[in-house]
Amino acid sequence: MAKVPTYKLEFPYKRSVGPVIGTFLSGLRDGVILANRTEGGRVLCPPLEYDPETGEENPDDDWSEVGPGGVVTGWTWIEDPGPKQPLDRPFAWALIRLDGADTSLVHALDAGELDRVKTGMRVRPRWAAERVGHITDIECFEPEAS
Amino acid sequence: MAEPVRFMQQMVSLEYKFRASPTLLEYGEALAEGRIAGHRCPECGLVYVPPAGFCTICVVPTNTAEHGVDVADRGIITSFTVVDPIQYRGQKETEVYVLASILLDGASGTIGQQRIAEVPPDDVNMGMRVAAVWLPKDERKGFDPRGGLGGAIRHWKPTGEPAATLEDFAEHII
Repeated sequence: MAKVPTYKLEFPYKRSVGPVIGTFLSGLRDGVILANRTEGGRVLCPPLEYDPETGEENPDDDWSEVGPGGVVTGWTWIEDPGPKQPLDRPFAWALIRLDGADTSLVHALDAGELDRVKTGMRVRPRWAAERVGHITDIECFEPEAS
Repeated sequence: MAEPVRFMQQMVSLEYKFRASPTLLEYGEALAEGRIAGHRCPECGLVYVPPAGFCTICVVPTNTAEHGVDVADRGIITSFTVVDPIQYRGQKETEVYVLASILLDGASGTIGQQRIAEVPPDDVNMGMRVAAVWLPKDERKGFDPRGGLGGAIRHWKPTGEPAATLEDFAEHII
């Protein structure tokens, strides 16, 4: 008798993304990174329905392209990625402020080694071969210098 | 221009590894042999099925060697649910069926979610006496991490004996 039985529970969700995230995901599918803007003029990427500082609804028609390059504003190292993580080798989860944006996006950074990751380093997206309108359309970010 | 993205697919997938306690493994081995084995508390005498390895009331440890006791593979339906299965994706049931809590003869508490068969759902009643229909020995998995007896007992069927009276099981009705 197996001493460590296993079993798997799966829930296949289909989630409605709404107009703001929908626009962002449509952009990813089309190979561009889109940001929206608050009434006060801050450029938000990832875009939000509301201004995080005032709670006011953001204009629905004020979109712009940001990046594709950007700057790492914070990060954490994943030495031993789990099976559901985006890369099968050590990588960093990074906060990335894309050029032209005022906020930061969380994504995987494939830097190869821990000592290659620095706050302030420049990175660029590596696009997935097939894009479907999902955050994984950006496979990960990578150092711009490489 | 392609259509705007309106939905995203997200598979939430949870993979469990269940490391069973020695007590539960012994319980599983007994099931594979065709026995339902509990523990009797040495202080209050309550019989726990499945055994927890301790008495929750007296807070004393129990073990199979000293406190193991077999209970009957028959008992009383204390409550039940008739399930008319909605045909959602992944549903494997197609017909109306009954799940019941059963107070086994010799046990101090009920076991839940037990399949009742070989009787029309409308004829199932509280107090009905039922007996286990075991899987053939080579099909018994014994220990089942999702709880219960599903790895060893196919279902329960009425014995035809007179029904128990409410006094026999009133304190076990949830």
